[in-house]
Amino acid sequence: MRARRGRRPTRYSGLGLVRRGLSGTAWPRAWHEHELRDGYDVVVIGGGVHGLATAYYLATRHDIRSVAVLERGYLGGGGSGRNTAIIRSNYLTPEGVRFYDRSVALYRSLAAELNFNVMFSQRGHLTLAHSDAALRTMRWRAEVNKLSGVSSEVISPAEIGRLVPHLDVSSRPRFPIVGALWHPPGGIIRHDAVVWGYARAADAAGVHLHQNTEVVGIDLDGGRVRGVATTRGTVRADAVVSCTAGWATTVCDLAGVSLPITTYPLQAAVSEPVRPFLDTVVVSGTLHVYVSQTDRGELVFGASVDPFPSYSTRGSLEFLEGVAGHVLDLMPALNRVRVLRQWAGLCDMTPDFSPIMGGTPVDGFYIDVGWGTYGFKAGPVSGESMASLVATGKTPELIEPFALSRFNDGRLVGERGAAAVGH
Amino acid sequence: MIMLPCPRCGERDAAEFGYIGERVARPDVDATTPQEWRAHLYTRRNPAGWADELWLHRAGCGRYLAVSRNTMTGEIGVCRSVADETL
Amino acid sequence: MRLPPQPGEVIDRHAPLSFSWNGRVYPAFDGDTIASALAAAGVRVFSRSLKYHRKRGLLTADAHDPGCLVQVGDEPNVPAAARHVADGMVVTAQAVWPSLRFDVKAANQLLAPALSAGFYYKTFMRPRWAWPHYERVLRRFAPGGRVPDPASAAPGDASHARYEHRHAHPDVLVVGGGPAGMTAALAAAAAGADVMLVDDQPQLGGHLRWTSAAPGRAELDRLRVAVATGAIETLTQAVVLGHYEGGLVAIVQRGRPADHEGGVPGRARNGHPDVEETLIKARPKQLILAPGLIERPYVVGGNDLPGVMLSTAVRRLINEYAVRPGERAVVLTANDDGRAATDDLERAGVDVAAVLDTRAGVGIRRIRGRGGVRSVECSDSRVIECDLVVTATGWTAPTGLVTMAGGSAAYRPDAARFVPTDLPEGVYATGGLVGDGTLDKLIAHAGAVGRRAADAIRAADGHTPLPDLAPSPHPALFAGPTDGFVDLAEDVTAHDLRTAVAEGYDSIELTKRYTTVTMGRPQGKLEAMNAIAIVAEATGCDIAGTGTTTARPPYVPVSLGALAGPNHHPVRHSPMHDWHVAHDAVPLVAGQWIRPDSYLVDGRPDPAGEVLAVRHAVGIIDVTPLGKFELRGPDVPDLLEFLYVNKWRKLAVGQVRYGVMCADDGVVFDDGVTGRLGEDRYLLTATSSGADAVGEWIERWLQTEHRRWRVHAIPMTDAYASINVAGPRSRELVNRLASDIDMSNEAFGYMRVRIGTVAGVSDCVVWRIGFTGELSYELHVPSGHGLAVWHALLEAGADLGVRPFGVEAQRILRLEKGHIIVGQDTDGLTGAYSAGLEWAIKLDKADFIGKPELSWQRLGDGAPELVGMQSVDPLAVPVEGCQLVADGGRIVGRVTSSRFSPTLGRAISMGFVDAELSRPGTVVAARSPDGRRVHLTVQPQLAHVDPEGARLHG
Repeated sequence: MRARRGRRPTRYSGLGLVRRGLSGTAWPRAWHEHELRDGYDVVVIGGGVHGLATAYYLATRHDIRSVAVLERGYLGGGGSGRNTAIIRSNYLTPEGVRFYDRSVALYRSLAAELNFNVMFSQRGHLTLAHSDAALRTMRWRAEVNKLSGVSSEVISPAEIGRLVPHLDVSSRPRFPIVGALWHPPGGIIRHDAVVWGYARAADAAGVHLHQNTEVVGIDLDGGRVRGVATTRGTVRADAVVSCTAGWATTVCDLAGVSLPITTYPLQAAVSEPVRPFLDTVVVSGTLHVYVSQTDRGELVFGASVDPFPSYSTRGSLEFLEGVAGHVLDLMPALNRVRVLRQWAGLCDMTPDFSPIMGGTPVDGFYIDVGWGTYGFKAGPVSGESMASLVATGKTPELIEPFALSRFNDGRLVGERGAAAVGH
Repeated sequence: MIMLPCPRCGERDAAEFGYIGERVARPDVDATTPQEWRAHLYTRRNPAGWADELWLHRAGCGRYLAVSRNTMTGEIGVCRSVADETL
Repeated sequence: MRLPPQPGEVIDRHAPLSFSWNGRVYPAFDGDTIASALAAAGVRVFSRSLKYHRKRGLLTADAHDPGCLVQVGDEPNVPAAARHVADGMVVTAQAVWPSLRFDVKAANQLLAPALSAGFYYKTFMRPRWAWPHYERVLRRFAPGGRVPDPASAAPGDASHARYEHRHAHPDVLVVGGGPAGMTAALAAAAAGADVMLVDDQPQLGGHLRWTSAAPGRAELDRLRVAVATGAIETLTQAVVLGHYEGGLVAIVQRGRPADHEGGVPGRARNGHPDVEETLIKARPKQLILAPGLIERPYVVGGNDLPGVMLSTAVRRLINEYAVRPGERAVVLTANDDGRAATDDLERAGVDVAAVLDTRAGVGIRRIRGRGGVRSVECSDSRVIECDLVVTATGWTAPTGLVTMAGGSAAYRPDAARFVPTDLPEGVYATGGLVGDGTLDKLIAHAGAVGRRAADAIRAADGHTPLPDLAPSPHPALFAGPTDGFVDLAEDVTAHDLRTAVAEGYDSIELTKRYTTVTMGRPQGKLEAMNAIAIVAEATGCDIAGTGTTTARPPYVPVSLGALAGPNHHPVRHSPMHDWHVAHDAVPLVAGQWIRPDSYLVDGRPDPAGEVLAVRHAVGIIDVTPLGKFELRGPDVPDLLEFLYVNKWRKLAVGQVRYGVMCADDGVVFDDGVTGRLGEDRYLLTATSSGADAVGEWIERWLQTEHRRWRVHAIPMTDAYASINVAGPRSRELVNRLASDIDMSNEAFGYMRVRIGTVAGVSDCVVWRIGFTGELSYELHVPSGHGLAVWHALLEAGADLGVRPFGVEAQRILRLEKGHIIVGQDTDGLTGAYSAGLEWAIKLDKADFIGKPELSWQRLGDGAPELVGMQSVDPLAVPVEGCQLVADGGRIVGRVTSSRFSPTLGRAISMGFVDAELSRPGTVVAARSPDGRRVHLTVQPQLAHVDPEGARLHG
């Protein structure tokens, strides 16, 4: 959908690269800096993929262009830049599968829509089972997926060995591989590119992106929101959307909204590049580990969240030891591959491993939070849904199951039945 | 990983312990309302700073510990056995 | 070319070795690195660059060198300038085709103008279907070495490499074994501290290792001898990876034969020869950082050509390895180190064509050459022919450990480098990291730091004053007038950085992510300062305002093997495990336990035969993993009432009851039987998988909410070996062994428990319970006697047809009887009412866990219900996990358990159905993975065999 009031950005293309390369002409800025206005129709807190996508869809789908995205640091500096960029839709519950399947569909067309190559690589996603119990849950997932039209099936160790020859599928290991959930549409993406693509397109559609702008207060008046206070001054707005991860609780505290969230660090690491040998994403829930290989040849490793909550992103040696041990349990030939860097991000965990999306007891204050370890996968569909909610006042059916009120009503989402590692 | 000063065993790596959760008072089960009970079950302070928590010295003395911990810096304030607290 | 013996050389000319490089055999001496041996043989090109496949040679000649990563055997990405040659080593260039000399991918250089930073974000978007094909091409350009073929399993290959872990608790840990580090270590040790000294080289010495000046060498000898004879644990070839929370310092050490000390006496600890690497987890009381400085490359056109080297690199090659780095050199210098390098070059016979001192206003405009340096174009337009360009343009302070340890780093514009500030308590810095000066000055500062650290341990008041040590003024020289490579590992140029800033990626973190600058092997140690300076210039900010990227561990890349260590996983076995193995048990991994799934008969598993043995005769199963807790004290009934949803107060001595535990959210948590063994003595059992959680759960309530209750809970899971004896002949069998228990139905009825002697073993607990739905007895035998009792049962029951059975047969038997397995027939949200446990829930009790939610669950209807089901086609066994679907594909339930019943000769199932379909006789459709439907009839009860329980009570 073309922006009517926004600028048309310079189109990116291979031909453009060659032309500009030869003539030495610079590309224009991908996004611009603006003065912080006194007021906007909508203020979005958080300049990650959720916030930027919400702003983008508000402007392009709903023609709401007086939108500010307020980011405390730099664009994509939180969870959007710290996740391991795995995309999948093989969830356990029909509502989860439906929601993430929409996200995968949006991701598939994102490069073309945003004119920014997000490098979505649908190379397949393999979740290993090391026990009968895990295999049973996988069959459950596979069947729910199929009934929702999502490609997913349980495969045998022999088939696993053909997909990933480096996996030890013999019966010798301490954690023998007895089967796997194979999800061909799953894959990896260039996470920063998704952030930048949305930022550039939102900017072109008239959205103001404000980096280094921290929200320090939310102005309320008789149970409804009137604006926000920031480190750069106050901003009036009748609609405020919190798209924050890691800091959802502290931001919601500003509006007096309590959340069922606990914040845990999630760590990841990347290896030095090696020649491509791993074509799929490999996950083991039992061993709490997942690994994929980027197009640059690096192996990206992740685990489950840290064993206790924290707002610190320092990273730990225990994580490296654990992830290395588990990767070697699966692929013993990788002993001599070296870890180059480790990092951590913050995850807002909810009791039912599902997000919280929708309105709050404060009129005009919307939340898109509680994303645990699976927020990046849902960026596009969350932006689309939140934009629709803010613009129309009606909760899209896709996100109805994720209302904050479900906790008060005791109607949790059933994702807790799935494996503990949600990557 | 951070170190926790177990009152029985001394300073130990947090890996020996299990984090149980924030310390929350259990409402009177016969007088509670769904709203109050579910807030007890699910709503958390989740502070960016000092938190009052329950830990278990799993690979040690097996004591449940009342710990105050700074979730930003990892500092430990109090760490005492719940069983030793005055009733 | 190899030079005559040098005063500081580390090679052993009496120990010649040979190795191969790209298929050709080369000579080396013991002590040579791969790079020094090849350089001595005249090799100048070691790799091709990441993006443009430009030829690359030595730049830093140490572990950080971005241009000399090679494949050694099956090990990828080995830094050739840090790895020592071993005899017979097979070394090859990485990611080149067909060869290092002629690499077709170098064609990328022709496209260079179009391949600016982030080019791939701007293209390959249409048509959408083409991206996977583009991607496949991009992947061909992935850099790096090869991981071993999974099929290879020769001794010595990666899969068999050995790694170790150890802990250390030194008083003082000194990072860096240069003159400052050695001095600090000596001073701390002299003051009585227990000191560990870590250095990445095989010999201590820091920058003195490559000094040829006599006073420096004398000082080095003095310090080495002092350290070797002092009470200092020295780890050489060891690198500090990072500083973690809780003061943990991770160190990785390469294992090498301990006799390789480079002629230095003493007790340097170099690891076990068979161990590839050791990870040391140190928690020092005091930490002294003395890592020295890292020399900074100069960004200018042609700065990546083979033959462009840092001044420290040429000094290493000449003084340590006796290698002449070139024939004719131009030296660019902004400090006195350029002078020292010039002296070394001249002494080594290199023709120094020019020394360009930027302080005198001359510099380099561009370095020319193709595949190697040919000439230098000076700022005054002179063109000087040469094959070697040596730069000494400044230093980067490795402040990563400082910031990881909680300190900060501040930029000093006058010295053009960062210095540590705000060091936390117990962390000190000394040496070049802190400042410059004569050797005497460095040593004075380091000595004071060492004493201060030792004082802090003894809590001594004697506060050693620290002499001044500050960085000397240095020109802020980062980049020249032409476009050069900022990051040689990632092929990022100064132009790339400026382009990124112009496009809006204008904070250092965004520039880094967009261009990948500092994301390669050196992780910023060589290139971050230059990158920051160029970004600062492009944005109009100063360097301090631009800031740095966050330093993250590990300091150098570390192998997965070293991190994992011996990587043992705890496994639990019952006392009968060896018997199972000897009798062809098929192993089943069940959490930490390895259990018999079934026993092979004629080479095949026969769970159906085991089931029939139990139904018609008698079987025995090892159920040792069952969770067991002895509860003692007068308030045990209060505890049981609180833990379980059902009632316990009337449980008499000798009686047993089944109980269900919920959590406070009303979700089923565990189940099991509990028996009252004595007045104040109970034995509680929990599921095998839930045993640990139940133990913690009991303790939690006893230690927090209900501290007044007088109850002791004693874990007994491993104290008892547990054997279930099941089948119509079980009474007869147990009766033959239980010498002092009246086994008659009247004296010992269903759901009763006795203590007595079995097979001569006293204090056995004998339960009459029936998970399998058969008459059965469960024996809890002191674990040391488990195997004996198992043998006794098999012997005594031989004429009764006794047969061991495994977990699979037990699963079939319990499904026939309709007993649920928590975690299989329930999930993370299954409430107790949903699970068909209404009969057990007693809401008229006082407080118990889950009571409020259960009282609301009871009122709410419409929740799915757990039911028994039988397929219309008796031979069609629906797959566990398959979904029940209504017309149109709507999910209306799922099958949680399903088996072919040998007893009934038909398929039987259990599962959830939506409430409106739970009426007996309703036919529901299960969708098989292949899409076919299996029709199932809802049964009146969960049990398929003996719903009345006649077998249990008989």
